Amino acid sequence: MEKKTIIIINVYNIIGDKTAMEAEQGQKIFKLIDMAFKEDKNIDISFQNIELITTAFLNTAVGQLYKDYEEGYIRNHLKISNLTNSGAIRLKRVVETAKLFYKDPDRLEQSIRDILDE
Amino acid sequence: MRLFNISNDFNSYQQLIHFYNDNKNKMFADIELDLKQFFCANLSAALGAILDKLIINSNNICFTNIDKAIETILKKNDFLSFYGYNSEKDIYGTTVKYKKILPRDAKYFRNYIEKEFIESNLSNLPNMSMGVKHSIIEAIYEIFVNAQIHSQTEYIYSCGQLFHTKNEIFFTLVDTGITIKDCVNNRFNSSLTSLQAIKWALEDKNTTKRNITGGIGLAFLKEFIKNNKGLLQIVSNDGYYSFDEKGEQYKLFSGKFPGTIVTIKFRTDDKCHYSLKSEKDINLENIF
Repeated sequence: MEKKTIIIINVYNIIGDKTAMEAEQGQKIFKLIDMAFKEDKNIDISFQNIELITTAFLNTAVGQLYKDYEEGYIRNHLKISNLTNSGAIRLKRVVETAKLFYKDPDRLEQSIRDILDE
Repeated sequence: MRLFNISNDFNSYQQLIHFYNDNKNKMFADIELDLKQFFCANLSAALGAILDKLIINSNNICFTNIDKAIETILKKNDFLSFYGYNSEKDIYGTTVKYKKILPRDAKYFRNYIEKEFIESNLSNLPNMSMGVKHSIIEAIYEIFVNAQIHSQTEYIYSCGQLFHTKNEIFFTLVDTGITIKDCVNNRFNSSLTSLQAIKWALEDKNTTKRNITGGIGLAFLKEFIKNNKGLLQIVSNDGYYSFDEKGEQYKLFSGKFPGTIVTIKFRTDDKCHYSLKSEKDINLENIF
């Protein structure tokens, strides 16, 4: 991450809950990251005091960043802290999926055709 | 109509589907129901969803003959409270209460699950670590959120049952909204069968959401079930899917269920760490 002031996004404070479960909660985090990215800020998403996390939350909070921002930009500007191991496993999957999803938007249509052809 | 020996298997779901289809067109009728021999209490969620579909047609539901043991457990899990019975105290802590929850009321659902799995008698299970409990709860949340996002259901029904001696918990979540088949076909303008649609939905990274990633929750759940040596069943429309140690099964029902049922069985004595070896100790510095 480049050396600049780091904006800390405290997930527990933003969603007001120790469980990050719903897509709607994730959208609040996404909006904050998006706003800061547009100003070229560095961000630390802190999951301190978050005990349980779903992929639905992470898809919205982080996954959709890959629609508008390059991998390199995200890597240089975004840091994650205090995430549980289970949350980290989910986040890794979400990131891998998002990279593929936005690189190849026709993949899902093709997967339907593949199943019909079986 | 009689529901006989209802357990977590294909034939029992088929009985429930027959019961629904035999009564779905009735209006202003007395619909009689016997529950005999055995009724696996987590399936209160499926029965409650079906009965609600019949009640909105102004039918009366009459439990005419319930075996005593079944009546007791369905009073303990509060299911029969919805049909004019009093509830009974669950002294041994074997039930996860029957609830019908508005999809937007996720906070209520979270409080209910945490109360049932962490604060209640279920938490007295000596073999169940907090790590296992958290993994189970996260798996349940993934299913709830799936129903919340995709089904457009009026209510989400849930119920669970603990079998102490077998170290097993069964948990069922039901919606009466858009089935998996219709959800996939509406999104892609395709003509997949129920079984093809379920198979597609279970594939990692497949999602019907537009412009946003998804499709990880169900695949993740399946991996967790595999590691835990548990069971995953999905009933949606006329499709049945089952996954356990013995493998996967896809079957078609005669008749359709008006929504989706997901039943999961967890082993409570499993001390495994629920992640793949390659995924342990992920370095957060390199995650993007």
